[in-house]
Amino acid sequence: MKTKLFVLVGLLLTAAPAWAHHAFAAEFDQSRPLKLKGTVVKWEVTNPHSWIHMDVKGDDGKVVTWMIEGGSPNNLYRLGFTKDSLPPGSEIVVEGYQAKDQSTRAVGKSVTFADGRKLFLGLQARESDPETKK
Amino acid sequence: MNSRYFGSMATLAVVVVLMLLAPALAAGQDLSAAAKMTTTHKAWTPPRTADGQPDLQGVWTNNTVTPLERPKELAGKEFYTDAELEALAKHERERLSRIEDEGQPPANHSGVEGAPADDVHYDFSQFGLDRGQSKLAWNRRTSIIVGPEGTIPTLTAEARTRLAELRAKAKGHEFDGPENLTLGARCLARPNVVPLLPTAYNSNLQIVQGTGYVAIETEEIHDVRIIPTDGRPHIPKSVRQWYGDSVGHWEANTLVIDTTNFTDLSPFRGAQNLHMIERLTRADEDTILYQFTVEDPGMWTKPWSGELPITKIDGQLYEYACHEANYPLANTLRGARVAEEQAAKKAAK
Repeated sequence: MKTKLFVLVGLLLTAAPAWAHHAFAAEFDQSRPLKLKGTVVKWEVTNPHSWIHMDVKGDDGKVVTWMIEGGSPNNLYRLGFTKDSLPPGSEIVVEGYQAKDQSTRAVGKSVTFADGRKLFLGLQARESDPETKK
Repeated sequence: MNSRYFGSMATLAVVVVLMLLAPALAAGQDLSAAAKMTTTHKAWTPPRTADGQPDLQGVWTNNTVTPLERPKELAGKEFYTDAELEALAKHERERLSRIEDEGQPPANHSGVEGAPADDVHYDFSQFGLDRGQSKLAWNRRTSIIVGPEGTIPTLTAEARTRLAELRAKAKGHEFDGPENLTLGARCLARPNVVPLLPTAYNSNLQIVQGTGYVAIETEEIHDVRIIPTDGRPHIPKSVRQWYGDSVGHWEANTLVIDTTNFTDLSPFRGAQNLHMIERLTRADEDTILYQFTVEDPGMWTKPWSGELPITKIDGQLYEYACHEANYPLANTLRGARVAEEQAAKKAAK
């Protein structure tokens, strides 16, 4: 019975695709994974996607600014994030995929602070959470 | 781990009770069924607006994990049992807690259990795009589409030919220019407005009523439907709009909306002569029962209907100014140009 239930659950969740507003594969290149360590310059809290601008120092010592695509600010705000949640100067590590145009744009599949904390986690106050609901 | 993401069990129970009654409420039935269902909530009387209409006003969500069409594996099974629904909620809680507690995104990074490993995208939990992070309108349906089949009916031969021609024409030109991209990617129109279908995130709407009008704003992607309820007819057939022309009327506690006059550019599944009927019935303080029927004899071999609960949420609707930073559109087109250059270089070698 347990196995059967799990299958049902898996099917249901799979059938509800968590698509973003555009086709991912049209914008980013899965064959170009990257890992960037740098400093936040600014965070564009804009729709349909937020964008983190970060300065990354290359092996040659040259600093290049990258733009990292993130989630919709409306949802982030409801989860408790504000425009101050990612202040300029924050040191972060981004793992993601470069844009297909091979520019210094990428999608961040995960973002962590230099000390290992996951970006955004711990800030969430879910509306449906009876323990954190005001 | 606890039930922190899913509201109290009492709330869940109310939704379960509501949806237990859903089989008697198949879309298309008259209001008496809905009214009968509503009266089962003995302690609750539907509120009225100042001019005496049922009050549907507020900020709501239709966020759900229920798919539009029933997965093949659940063919013939229209509802989950209580135990299965509980298992579903438990599974979702565990999935999200696993991401948080271990600090590890799921292997496919999409946040969707069972999604293909190459479905590379954000860690949805981290970026606030996981459905389970927002309030969900839980219900026992295995698909939004009602009935034993739970799927969109077969296309007519005419529609199959027309859509195949369109696909053939578009093939190889998907990224030629902005006009080739979907209305959604262009921030113009999306298929979650008429009918009111859930969208992956920001699946919220606000209803405001004035004398003779009901306005429904969907957060994504910034559209407000202004629906007259004063008995006026539809606009002339020659005037066609992306979301059609909606007129409404009240049947006891139910707002019935009739929508026609869609363009052939409608974002809804490529249909050309859509006719939609929607029914919104306040079921209790926190719930609207939403039912819709879609028909287009040139498109589908028969009409089809769906229903889902819409649940009240706190707060306000936020602006979703999709155009303000739609960098993905330009990025996508630039990406296509780079791919073309590379293909040309490769061919020249």
